[in-house]
Amino acid sequence: MAKKGGPFERKSKVGAEIPAASMADIAFLLLIFFMVSTTFRREQDRHLTFPKAEATQKQDEKRKNILHIWIEPDGQVYINDRLVPMEMVAEVVLPLYRASDRRLLIALRGDRDVPYRYVNSVTEQLREANAVRVFFHTDLESRLTRERR
Amino acid sequence: MAILQRKSRVSDEIPTASMADIAFLLLIFFLTTTVFEEEKGLPIVLPEAAAEQVEVSQKNIIHFLVQEDGAIVIRRGESTAEQVVAFSQIEGIMRQEIGSNPEIIAAVKTAPNAPYRHMINVLDELQSANAQRISLQLWER
Repeated sequence: MAKKGGPFERKSKVGAEIPAASMADIAFLLLIFFMVSTTFRREQDRHLTFPKAEATQKQDEKRKNILHIWIEPDGQVYINDRLVPMEMVAEVVLPLYRASDRRLLIALRGDRDVPYRYVNSVTEQLREANAVRVFFHTDLESRLTRERR
Repeated sequence: MAILQRKSRVSDEIPTASMADIAFLLLIFFLTTTVFEEEKGLPIVLPEAAAEQVEVSQKNIIHFLVQEDGAIVIRRGESTAEQVVAFSQIEGIMRQEIGSNPEIIAAVKTAPNAPYRHMINVLDELQSANAQRISLQLWER
């Protein structure tokens, strides 16, 4: 220890603490940033169970170019939260397809128990509207659970 | 005067030292409770409605017939010989077919009343086998 009054006793004028006063501002700024940049799903929950598939791939497409088409187990089709009769699907999709500069990607969200004829009718309608880029929404399935099937 | 000058011992500032902790706690809470909606699935490109009918040689086609109960029957080309297979076998069979004939087209024919998930299972196996040429059809008997 240095003697009292010795050269090592001299106090530094620079604080030895990290300035924590602005920490709250930083944290709130981050909080507000994440709150503002979060987008919420627009559709209501439909409580459908999607089929599982091992080859499930993530789809890289801008959000605004993806159109969700829901097919309920009784064959009812919903587009943008509106019930659309089966024979009207092409008419609804066509203007959206044109507006998207022909980049529209269709997300077909069918319940796992939908009879296939409804899915087929929807894809036929999509072909009429020229929206041929489609993906079937599935949940990822691991190989282990599949082998047990 | 002397009495009025006396300083209060209680600080007149709001304690802000814990503010950062509160804010970070909120931040972490929202970060962990946010669920992202992922766009995922099995992609396929449908044939265009205006596309002209292309005649495909029957030897380049392998039919996968999906029945209502989920049974899969394979029919090759024009032959009427049928082979009942399990879902797990499809990937291996398709790899073999692609190996011997890269032009092969997998035609998935699903019965109108068969649940959608059976068709997805077959499509899943075909895509796992890297099949590029897949055709989805309704099985009209």
